[in-house]
Amino acid sequence: MGEVILTMKDIDKSFPGVHALDHVNFEVKRGEVHALMGENGAGKSTLMKVLTGIYQKDSGSIVYKGKETEFHNTREAQDAGVVIVHQELNMVGDLTVAQNIFIGREPKKGFRIDDKKMIEESKKLFQELNIEIDPREKMHNLTVGKQQMCEIAKAISHKAEVIIFDEPSAALTEKEIADLFVIIRDLREKGLGIVYISHRMDEIKVITDRVTVMRDGGYVGTLITKDSTKEDIINMMVGRVIYEDPKQHSMVAPDAPVVLKVEHLNAGKMVQDVSFELRKGEILGFSGLMGAGRTETARALFGADPKQSGKISVMGKDGQLREVTINSPQDAVKYGIGYLSEDRRRYGCVVQKSCIENTTLATMEQFTKGFLIDSAKEKEVTEKYIKELATKTPTADQLVVNLSGGNQQKVVIAKWLTRDSDILIFDEPTRGIDVGAKNEIYKLMNKLAAEGKSIIMISSEMTEVLRMSDRIIIMCEGKVTGNIDISEATQENIMDKATRSID
Amino acid sequence: MTKKKKSILSDQRFIVLLVVIALTAIFSFMSKEFRQYNTMLSLLDFSYYDLLMAIGVTFPLITGGVDLSIGTGMVCYALIGGTLIRSHGMPVIVAMLVCVLLGVLIGTLNGVLIGVMNLPPFLATLCTCMITRGAGSLCTATPWPGLTQEGGWFHSIFKLTIGTGRSADRYPIGFLWMVILVLLMEFVLNHTKFGRYTIAIGSNKEAAALSGINVKFYHVMVYVVCGLFTGLAAIAYAAVTPTVQPGTGAGLEMDAIGGVFVGGVAATGGYGSVLGTFVGIFVIMLLKTGLPYIGLQANWQQIITGLVLIVAVLIDIIKEKKAAAL
Amino acid sequence: MTIKKLVALGLSAAMVASMTAAPVFAAEEADPAAQFEGLKANEAYEFPMMVKSFQSTYWQAAVEGMQKAADELGVTFTPQGPNSESDIADQVNMINTAIAAKPVGMGLAACDTSSVTEALQKCVDDGIPVVTFDTGVSDAPEGSVVAEVVTDNAQAGSVAAENMYAAIKDVIANAEGQVIIGEINQDATAQNIQLRGAGFINKMIELIKADGKTVAVAGNEFYVNAAEGADAEEADADVVIQVAVPAQTTVELCSTEAQAILSKENCIAVFGSNQVAAEGVLAANANLNVLGSDAAAGDVIGVGFDAGSIIKAAVQDGTFLGAVTQSPLMMGYYAIYALTAAANGDEVEDVPTAGYWYDSTNMEDESIAPNLYD
Repeated sequence: MGEVILTMKDIDKSFPGVHALDHVNFEVKRGEVHALMGENGAGKSTLMKVLTGIYQKDSGSIVYKGKETEFHNTREAQDAGVVIVHQELNMVGDLTVAQNIFIGREPKKGFRIDDKKMIEESKKLFQELNIEIDPREKMHNLTVGKQQMCEIAKAISHKAEVIIFDEPSAALTEKEIADLFVIIRDLREKGLGIVYISHRMDEIKVITDRVTVMRDGGYVGTLITKDSTKEDIINMMVGRVIYEDPKQHSMVAPDAPVVLKVEHLNAGKMVQDVSFELRKGEILGFSGLMGAGRTETARALFGADPKQSGKISVMGKDGQLREVTINSPQDAVKYGIGYLSEDRRRYGCVVQKSCIENTTLATMEQFTKGFLIDSAKEKEVTEKYIKELATKTPTADQLVVNLSGGNQQKVVIAKWLTRDSDILIFDEPTRGIDVGAKNEIYKLMNKLAAEGKSIIMISSEMTEVLRMSDRIIIMCEGKVTGNIDISEATQENIMDKATRSID
Repeated sequence: MTKKKKSILSDQRFIVLLVVIALTAIFSFMSKEFRQYNTMLSLLDFSYYDLLMAIGVTFPLITGGVDLSIGTGMVCYALIGGTLIRSHGMPVIVAMLVCVLLGVLIGTLNGVLIGVMNLPPFLATLCTCMITRGAGSLCTATPWPGLTQEGGWFHSIFKLTIGTGRSADRYPIGFLWMVILVLLMEFVLNHTKFGRYTIAIGSNKEAAALSGINVKFYHVMVYVVCGLFTGLAAIAYAAVTPTVQPGTGAGLEMDAIGGVFVGGVAATGGYGSVLGTFVGIFVIMLLKTGLPYIGLQANWQQIITGLVLIVAVLIDIIKEKKAAAL
Repeated sequence: MTIKKLVALGLSAAMVASMTAAPVFAAEEADPAAQFEGLKANEAYEFPMMVKSFQSTYWQAAVEGMQKAADELGVTFTPQGPNSESDIADQVNMINTAIAAKPVGMGLAACDTSSVTEALQKCVDDGIPVVTFDTGVSDAPEGSVVAEVVTDNAQAGSVAAENMYAAIKDVIANAEGQVIIGEINQDATAQNIQLRGAGFINKMIELIKADGKTVAVAGNEFYVNAAEGADAEEADADVVIQVAVPAQTTVELCSTEAQAILSKENCIAVFGSNQVAAEGVLAANANLNVLGSDAAAGDVIGVGFDAGSIIKAAVQDGTFLGAVTQSPLMMGYYAIYALTAAANGDEVEDVPTAGYWYDSTNMEDESIAPNLYD
């Protein structure tokens, strides 16, 4: 390891209502691979965005190559040699490899783009990296792994001295990951500083020299990788803080009947052989890291996305568990399943419409007489739920877009209660909702469970999972890696299962 | 949060109504020929088919789609109807029913292509636009029966003529039917399941689907309704066009679609009203009819109409930005 | 019926009689058909015949004439045309496709005369003789067009002006203020419409000036510039010829333009220079109801062009004073003859066909009726 090339000190950044970075420290040396770790929302991405100029810090200092620096946009950062290789590749599929690498700074020959030079330069880059890619190939003809190589080549071509890899292995095969590591080691040899963001504990152990852990926007500490164990790192990630009133034991009666049984559900790469049971009155938490396949499981179950195979059984009104076919949300709704999307604005409600229209959207037939809508009844029912759920809105006619996040969520809940759904899937029920409103949503969910509704709760917040769930399913990379009762659940064993690659 | 009292001035329909009044005033002031009963009568005559197309296409536009086939479709149905009367001796009532039926048929085709097979509306209706244009060209130029000819009674649907020749009194009763249809469709849009789902599809199709709505079916129905009104428009078109010319009709949909946008349908879908369409069409009609009266050459008429459209759509976008800022 | 009207009718009838008996060209040239006497096709030729569209029965009458000639000569032809007369590019494509097949000759009625020059040059290069019919191409490349079979449109326009003037002469003479004569042209791009519109205007100017009145031309720029002899400004002329051209060639837009002119109180006459324009005038009249054949009683005199059932009915019942018809039948007929002669390798001369005036009195005449297509 060489001298320090980049030091970030006391970085502070707030967004309206969120303290995203709380005096964070981070440094990278020449010739080291430095891992940046933390749970979802710990502040890793925000920190890197501050570094590369996407966000501006509120306070603190960034010293790069011995000089106090502040980049105002990614272009400035690139020119200075700080480059980020994104998780989602920023490539134009219909252009060639060479065109992608030089996009925005094409070499010119008079007025013409000098394609020859572009191809030559690209070849040189690939030689340097010891990889074989034809610069004339169209980007979309390459595998994801190869595309990533191109992204790296592009970074190198910027004369990069610090390269940030944001979850580079997420979409790669084992072989591709091995290739990637060869390149990363090579870059390290050349004296570049590498920042490596990943959730995969195994990779961290293999490739990195040091690990910096963040939690809740704050800096926790930095470890030398070879001197620390996996457990050390997990402990730092989850912290020692005791969260407020986690559920001690399941509230579900031992003899409560199963209302939903999912067996061997397969839907694309993100849902592989998923099986679980949901019992009456149960809140079943789905934990896991971002991209573990939880939302995909819910959408496949709900019929919003196609599935390849699997058996779904739902308890009918007569109390019998029966296999059902769910090919569309319409089918799911028919069997009493309601889905509350993680992205309310996009999938949950029609924000430019009123509370009334949103509440009755799934149950129009209850409010129509012949062809006509019974507006009086609509209003009556909507107002009933506004009262019951304590939705804060001046009138039932208010446009949903004008409500706060928590109250929007309540409108969506009202929609499914109007439908009399017995199974409710809450996908990140409190995302974007402030603390006070969170508690109300929690109370509401507990009340619904007590009344005999069954709830699947997908959540990326450990606190939420531990506080609400009766049982917890943990997913990792499309597979179920754990199924534990709340009485046995700890942050550590959940995080362990959530970061476990099965193979 | 307190409920803001909604000012009538923030309602685009009211603004457009003011524009209609202002345009009428300006043209009447500048041209004494314009402020005649007969001019109004002619303006109304030629507004019916535009308006019927516009009422129909309001629904696809609210879903965020479009129907480009209405112009050529209308002419195609009128031609086929005319041919049935002239060459096959069918009664006018049969030709009228055929028009409506063909409209519904092409509307269903559009709907299936868009709602079920997920073709982009622009592309799907561009195809049916070409198909109806070509199909219409298979017929020859065919006048429907004139007012005094056998079967000419159908003109009375739109304009009641009492007496003959110069002493005749003419009443634009078509306007009455239009008002009734507009109110009916405004009611359908706001107070029926079909209308509610049309808006929901335009506003957030994903959310509508995830709410368990049969989005496919209602998406198809939107285009069926549009086709139905195009069929009705064909009858109104035949009533005012002496000889329906094959191969024409392309471009007529633009007047209708333009009118709908002037009337305040959101360019991205999700919001709109049939009442707005009603007043919007009259802005287009006034410009089309009035500008020649004040001596403006044809090319200027189109330029001015285009400018008015830009302003109307800008108002909508500014409004949306404001809403998003809340 | 007033005496005046009788006189007017008699006058126009006499005029018609003189014209049908001896069309203008007949006097200048020997019978244009004479050159085809005894013509026989050397081979079973096949000619592509480019019409402007199949929109109106006008073109069907032309095809009928072609069929008649083809049957007589034992040749065949394929009529082709775009969806509408304004689909200029479509027609050019069709022409190019037809040329590529190297036919022995091609008949052409160009939608837009300036767009076909390139195609015609190709015909010269490939040795394909072209006969233009209905519409001539004035700037055709040397050697491409071997013969024109067209109505003398300037003459046809002037026929309309002469007959109209006879009916409104007294009104103009007795007028206290300015009077307006309207002309609706469906476009300002096609040569035949251009010639016809200008022919009408120029003849009208000549006639008005001959009676000692001043005249101005206003409206569409092309026609204002094409007019010759106007001697006054629009503001103080005794007679203003107001020319309107719609944005698109549709009946409804022609109608809107016609309405704006017809609704002026001092409008005394209006001319629609083809079927679409004339029908536009009639559509405008549906509400205004100002057209009639008694100018002295305040009727606005309407004159149409071409035929079709709507215009024929208007002429029949006196809404239109009359109209000028071309002879699409004869143009189609002679076009095939001219092509056959050219394919045989003979020299061919132009075959001009006349524009005939028709009104309620002579519509049934043998020389007129066959050209009055529905």
